[in-house]
Amino acid sequence: MRKTLLLSAVATAAALTAVGCAKEAARDEAKLSPRPSYTTADLPDDLAFHVPNAIVVDFKDGTTKAEFDEWEKAWGVDLELADDEEGVDSAITVGSVDGDEDALLARIRQDPNVEAAEPLMRFTASFVPNDPLYERQWNLAQINMPKAWESTHGKGVVVAVLDTGIAYEDYDDFRQVPDLKGVKFTEGYDFVNQDRHANDDHGHGTHVAGTIAQATNNGEGVAGVAFEATLMPVKVLDHFGGGTTAQIADAIRWAADHGAKVINMSLGGGGRSAVMEKAVEYARNKGVVVVCAAGNGGRGIVEFPAAYPGSVAVAAVGPTGKKAPYSSWGKELDIAAPGGDKSQGEAAGILQNTIDPQDVSQSVYASYQGTSMATPHVAGVAALLWAAGAKNPDQVEKALFLGSRPAEGSTGWNDQYGNGLLDAEGALKALKKIRSMDASELLPSEVQAAQADADAEASAQASDVQLYAYSATDWKAFGLSAVLLAFVLLTLGRKERPGYLNIFVKPGFLVPLLLSTVGVFFVQYLASPSDFTTSVTLPLPDWLNKIIFGRGALANPLIYSAAIPVAVSLFAIKLKGIRHAVGGLAIGFAAILAYSAWAHAPALAWLPFTFLAIPWLLGNALVCLFIARAMLKKETA
Amino acid sequence: MTTVTGRVAFRDLETGVWVLEADDGKTYLLAGGDRKIKKNGARIEAQGDVDEDGVSFAMVGPRFVVKTYKFT
Repeated sequence: MRKTLLLSAVATAAALTAVGCAKEAARDEAKLSPRPSYTTADLPDDLAFHVPNAIVVDFKDGTTKAEFDEWEKAWGVDLELADDEEGVDSAITVGSVDGDEDALLARIRQDPNVEAAEPLMRFTASFVPNDPLYERQWNLAQINMPKAWESTHGKGVVVAVLDTGIAYEDYDDFRQVPDLKGVKFTEGYDFVNQDRHANDDHGHGTHVAGTIAQATNNGEGVAGVAFEATLMPVKVLDHFGGGTTAQIADAIRWAADHGAKVINMSLGGGGRSAVMEKAVEYARNKGVVVVCAAGNGGRGIVEFPAAYPGSVAVAAVGPTGKKAPYSSWGKELDIAAPGGDKSQGEAAGILQNTIDPQDVSQSVYASYQGTSMATPHVAGVAALLWAAGAKNPDQVEKALFLGSRPAEGSTGWNDQYGNGLLDAEGALKALKKIRSMDASELLPSEVQAAQADADAEASAQASDVQLYAYSATDWKAFGLSAVLLAFVLLTLGRKERPGYLNIFVKPGFLVPLLLSTVGVFFVQYLASPSDFTTSVTLPLPDWLNKIIFGRGALANPLIYSAAIPVAVSLFAIKLKGIRHAVGGLAIGFAAILAYSAWAHAPALAWLPFTFLAIPWLLGNALVCLFIARAMLKKETA
Repeated sequence: MTTVTGRVAFRDLETGVWVLEADDGKTYLLAGGDRKIKKNGARIEAQGDVDEDGVSFAMVGPRFVVKTYKFT
């Protein structure tokens, strides 16, 4: 008993070998069956739990060292008393084993002098983190985190958070929030501002990331589900929280190509998009678990991307486990998780560390509710499942669903809760069952590896995509420039015209035209992405604006005007050789300005221009066309 | 350009969401307009564009980008 007390005293500090506990357990078991028979298959896969190649054998009390030294020879194992203090009395021994543990244990159990023989386990107390606000996180207790944390913390599994960004680094005027200090991050990408600094300028994404991997057991703030996972910040929503399907589709592929095992999308809206649906399918085929929010409309429509076949759709419940009133439902629903229900009070929300949406320089502990808050619970548990040895996304999803708890007395699937309420401990247990039944796992590891390679290759070929480190080049402005060129050429008389096709293939003309409409687009095929290379693959005005005024700056009306073509054309009065090049630049500018106006893209800097933006762009496009016409006109003698 | 009449409402969802609960039963995520439109419970008649394609964390329905509006 003294041994047990000693154990519990230090159990919070580290995992300990519970020899004493094992003995008591063995005695209890002995009443029911004379030969308790645990095997290695009864243990979690996590090495933190099972000490490999080690066994514990409990002989009948009073057995001496000389006696078991004699018996152990037959078993081919060297057993030592586990504890000199308790000594001969308890006769509990430990030993290390080469080869088949279970077979050896079975043989040892045959011996009538043996009370119990089993694999050596580490013992940890139920993991209660020391974060001061942890007590307020009813949501983590609801999904059984303390038990799940006994076996895994999701170490090293990359979870991409596609959102408004994460307050993960000190960069520019962004600051890391205190309760993400010490959390592991891998390089992400900002698809809104086109650079590598996916910082949060809103507050939503940091909260979501906190649920997945808030710094835990650090004496600060709150806890997260898979706090040893690696977060990948991917910004797809702007500072108002809006984004486009095209950008998000790019981001999904990017995350899948850069090592994410789980993608969390606490976002939705828009119609069904083939582009996004394919991106989700691509990620899923690459072995990524895609988890999405069902929506906050409180209606029978599951939002996209949650509703796509490759994605896990998550509904939200409150502290009682009842579906939150705002949570959407429908036939595509997969699972329910705590998302908060603040109709029962502020404390019934989900509490995480984020930046204040009204003052993004301030760190706050905010209580939010939404299916966005439910989603990262599922993503976090998915990370735990990967860390616990899941071999593919199918196993992860099956474990999530089979391990979930029935909601409101119902069993099986229903359109309000999907397969049930998320349960981290249940999912980890379910994973063990699923893996033991998965026939493909019985194949030798080389065969499994070869199969995985073949699968990955097949899916890569099937989805016909390249790496999406850059945002896809938009060729529409270039197409428009060709139309404008034809128009300009048509306004010239036959003798003044430099020809239709031969002007187009002249490098002197074509290069500035490409530069101004699609930038140095081919860099993306040659160099790995950096701030510089991703900038120059943008149309000339975009990257000039970005290089001169910095990321996220409003478009400067002087750059988005005819000023540059006009300035360059002044040189062409003397230098006739550069006229075609200036013509190309001017046509390109005309196209990009007209395209910006058509796409309602511009938010021009300097207030008086807000309502003048479109006339300004179109007027300048016309000036550019005029310059282009003058430049391309052949001088007739 | 569409005209929508309904009720402006603040919903304590996510980081806070302003919606337009239209009289025909649809709910729109409010966008555009000016800051004075943000009056919880106010009835408005608004002209603007419905954006069915936008994606956001709000997930309450399509965006309604207000060009002009008046309280009714």
